[in-house]
Amino acid sequence: MEYKLTYSDTDIDLMKTMRPAGRLYWALLTVLFLLVMAGGWAWWMQIQTGIGLAGKNSPVGWAMYITTFVYWVGIAHSGTLISAILFLVRVRWRAAVYRSAEAVTVFGLMTAGLFPFIHLGRVWVAHWILPVPNFDGLWPNFRSPLAWDVLAITTYMTVSSTFFLVGMLPDLAIVRDRVKGWRKKVYGFLAQGWQGTDTQWKHYTAAYVFLAALATPLVISVHSIVSWDFAMSIIPGWHSTIFAPYFVAGAIHSGLAMVVLLLIPLRRSFGIEKYITMHHLESLAKFIVFTALVVGFAYMVEFFAAWYGNEKYEKAIFLYRMVGEYAWAFWLLITTNVFVPLLLWSKKIRTSIPCLVVICISVEIGMWLERFVIIVTSLAHDYLPSAWGLYHPTLTDSMIVIGSFAWFFFLFMIFVKVLPAVSMWEVKEQLPPPLKERG
Amino acid sequence: MNATGPYLFSVYRHVDDLVAGIRALKGEGMSEFQVFSPVPHHDITAALGGKRSPVRVFTLVGGLLGLAIGWGITIGPLGNFSLHVGGKPLLSIPPFGVVAYICTILFGALATIVGLFANTRLPQWNLTPGYDERISSDHFGIQVRCAPEEFERLARLLKTTGAIDIRRILR
Repeated sequence: MEYKLTYSDTDIDLMKTMRPAGRLYWALLTVLFLLVMAGGWAWWMQIQTGIGLAGKNSPVGWAMYITTFVYWVGIAHSGTLISAILFLVRVRWRAAVYRSAEAVTVFGLMTAGLFPFIHLGRVWVAHWILPVPNFDGLWPNFRSPLAWDVLAITTYMTVSSTFFLVGMLPDLAIVRDRVKGWRKKVYGFLAQGWQGTDTQWKHYTAAYVFLAALATPLVISVHSIVSWDFAMSIIPGWHSTIFAPYFVAGAIHSGLAMVVLLLIPLRRSFGIEKYITMHHLESLAKFIVFTALVVGFAYMVEFFAAWYGNEKYEKAIFLYRMVGEYAWAFWLLITTNVFVPLLLWSKKIRTSIPCLVVICISVEIGMWLERFVIIVTSLAHDYLPSAWGLYHPTLTDSMIVIGSFAWFFFLFMIFVKVLPAVSMWEVKEQLPPPLKERG
Repeated sequence: MNATGPYLFSVYRHVDDLVAGIRALKGEGMSEFQVFSPVPHHDITAALGGKRSPVRVFTLVGGLLGLAIGWGITIGPLGNFSLHVGGKPLLSIPPFGVVAYICTILFGALATIVGLFANTRLPQWNLTPGYDERISSDHFGIQVRCAPEEFERLARLLKTTGAIDIRRILR
């Protein structure tokens, strides 16, 4: 990936994203804000009235909220993949896209983090899960994957936010040096006095490598731990050793699709196509083909293990997924998650923006449905036929889920306007340095 | 670097000129100078030499501390919470290992940040006197501490290496 640009071109072009917003931006932001408010109102009604307003019930005690929680944690995985793992393996094209991907991670986690609280019902006692000695003498049961989950998600939030903000220091200094008035003070504060001295760069590059090295096992472990929320139980369809790698692959699958969906309007709206090029989108599309194959393989192995294991409840649940009340969701997820992304094998399709958008939306639908099918079908149809039951979404939980999507996009739109959405200093690193001999 | 002056601040447009400037100063036996650049560059690092960053020690110590905390918060309170749950033993190594693993990463990352800020002396609310705003974009700089009588000689030296702007900073 070779750019034909100079260092100063980069600053001028990439700071375009931070220019005052136009009418379309404000209109979109207003719509998203109203949707967030609607979701917030639905949550407030649920707190006031009781958790019964949500469609979850006995036996389907984990439903829309946990589905959406797992979905958003999954979305958060692409950022660390692109920013940390691709950094460690020296993939050059990551420079122009990793900042947006990291933002997807941070905002994905900020959205996911709401759902355990929404799901709790009695949200005012949420602090009981924290390992803080308290009046009631409570202490978390660290043998439970739910306690691991709290630790893993909060650690992921802390490390990914830190990585996001530290990675931005040199860019915030660029902005500080280009703006005037109160903005200079704000960005001066955010840049923390960064000046690009040799000492600063020496420690910064070392710290960046270590943060990336720590974030890499973290990204693998976080979704593994989320999968163990299910796999550590004895519910049919959940109690499986394949869950950890299967969840991690699915998380990256949906995360990459979300990054593509956000990069396409970003590059178009701000005229930065020469930085976020078709090569970037194509590389991400190739990744999506790979994750679609991994996810498809995991689905097959799951079914094979159920058949080969010859355990009657396990076989029953997989049969139920294919032909039961939620079979429509199952077949839709197989189609949207595995077969549709395989169209990206074709160069013509993966270099077509409309096709990319449609395929990435398909992956998002598929990955949300995958979690829905795993969670709802297993709980709806476990050991005792007398305890079987169905889940139907309600207005309250649907509004909260829609509000969560609005919240995520709302945060991303604000990010694009107030912080450098493309890393200027890392794009500069990809350019030939200004040499006298070159003129 | 000592916070007393006077200083000479030279600005460069090209990285090869900057490297020539660094080598010229080193040739003069000068060691108290600071180099500014918009991006890290291996030629600059090679010209400057110096030790590896000690940030890695912070990471290691933080990680080990996290590992100890992870085992500590899971095993430590067993005496007060001796309740068997789910048929698992009180001292359950695999699940506690998950907590220790996460704590290792958490504290390792936090210690890395502490190491970064401690070693770079960030935050710095006042920028280096003479700092040129072009540096964050596409220029380079050297700030060198020198005795007043040496200023002219060093300025001439750096000018020959391609410095486009040389300033005297008194503080």
